[in-house]
Amino acid sequence: MRVFLLQKSVNLQVTNLWIERGERDLCRDLSFSVRSGELVRIAGENGTGKSSLIKAILGWVRLEEGELEFNGEDVTLHRDVLLQNQLYLGHTPGIKSVFTALENLKLYCPEASEVALEQALAHVQLQAFADTPAAQLSAGQKRRIALARLWLTDKALWFLDEPFTALDVKGVEALELCMGAHLKNGGAIVITTHQPLLHLSPKTVELTL
Amino acid sequence: MNYRSFFKAEWLSLLRRKQDTLNALLFFVMVIILFPLGVDPSSEFLAPAAGGIIWCATALSVLMAVEGMYKEDFNDGSLEQWLTSGLSITYLVFLKVLVQWLMVIVPLLIVLPLLAQMLFLPFSALWVVMTSILLGTPALFFIGSIGAALTVSLRRGAVLMLLLILPLYIPVIIFATGAVRAAQLDMNYSGQLAILAAISLVALALSPIMAAISIRASVN
Repeated sequence: MRVFLLQKSVNLQVTNLWIERGERDLCRDLSFSVRSGELVRIAGENGTGKSSLIKAILGWVRLEEGELEFNGEDVTLHRDVLLQNQLYLGHTPGIKSVFTALENLKLYCPEASEVALEQALAHVQLQAFADTPAAQLSAGQKRRIALARLWLTDKALWFLDEPFTALDVKGVEALELCMGAHLKNGGAIVITTHQPLLHLSPKTVELTL
Repeated sequence: MNYRSFFKAEWLSLLRRKQDTLNALLFFVMVIILFPLGVDPSSEFLAPAAGGIIWCATALSVLMAVEGMYKEDFNDGSLEQWLTSGLSITYLVFLKVLVQWLMVIVPLLIVLPLLAQMLFLPFSALWVVMTSILLGTPALFFIGSIGAALTVSLRRGAVLMLLLILPLYIPVIIFATGAVRAAQLDMNYSGQLAILAAISLVALALSPIMAAISIRASVN
């Protein structure tokens, strides 16, 4: 499985976060922390602002109030340190339809060796589709290409926004194993999902309307 | 993602989606072919007008090429990945515009001598036209990239983008056609070319920063 040396240990402190979206408070006075080895699940019904919370932490939804601290450094105004140590996969994970699965992976993981790339694709059951243009793949397969990055990255903090969407049972299983290994390895994960996690026990941050 | 892999991917994706740049080139050729047919095919009219015709066609085809340059990246989530990559968006924008510029302008310069013949443009002036295109079009691309970034999240942003960007193209077109006219009258044209280069340099310095800010604002 994963044999990476992670870039850093993780200690993300979110304090008194206040996010507003279109006149409506998504959260107010929200505080939580993410440390190495922790899985934090952001829970809440549709439209409660789970994705917006991740985007606010990453810095492209405005914070009304609140402080972010990453490994002891205040990153509220300049997210660079946080961004360099994280991997984010959103609803549309940046897979180019004109590229093959392998080319897509190479764009995001340029320093990975050919063998590592092939192994990563094998982990997500795409080895047979390495040279197929992503345009010809299904929604679930496209998502798998993006998820294959998780097997190649040395970033310590992962933000996964609904990673299980469109995945089949085997895919979910593989992803959970990968996440578990990452946590054991000293990494940390922030996840939003409606599916129950089978093997992992998350710490939950609840958002309400 | 790093700058190298990004640059390579931009090349590859433009090569895979040739039709976009090819459309811009075809448009350029069509406008120039239609002009003599529609207005006046005599050399007395065409020779003095050639510089202006070529430059208007160039500006319009550049607009066509630039208009949707971030659309694909916006739709497939690549822009989000840019923002979270920890790389400088300004530099990513610069690289993207550079690739676009090469892909449109190099083929355009290759077909230009042939079209210039059709417009009775004297050979001595052709070099000035080509130089003015080399010096002036970077400004068109860089300024256009701001408009494209501003309107990327709008469903029908093309018209708005035209309204925003076209006025900023006017100085480039004025000085470029001025240089060509001066060359045809055997006057000194280096001043106009210098101003074109200056406009391009200013655009190069400022517009990636502004486009990066616009991208940040468009993605959320």
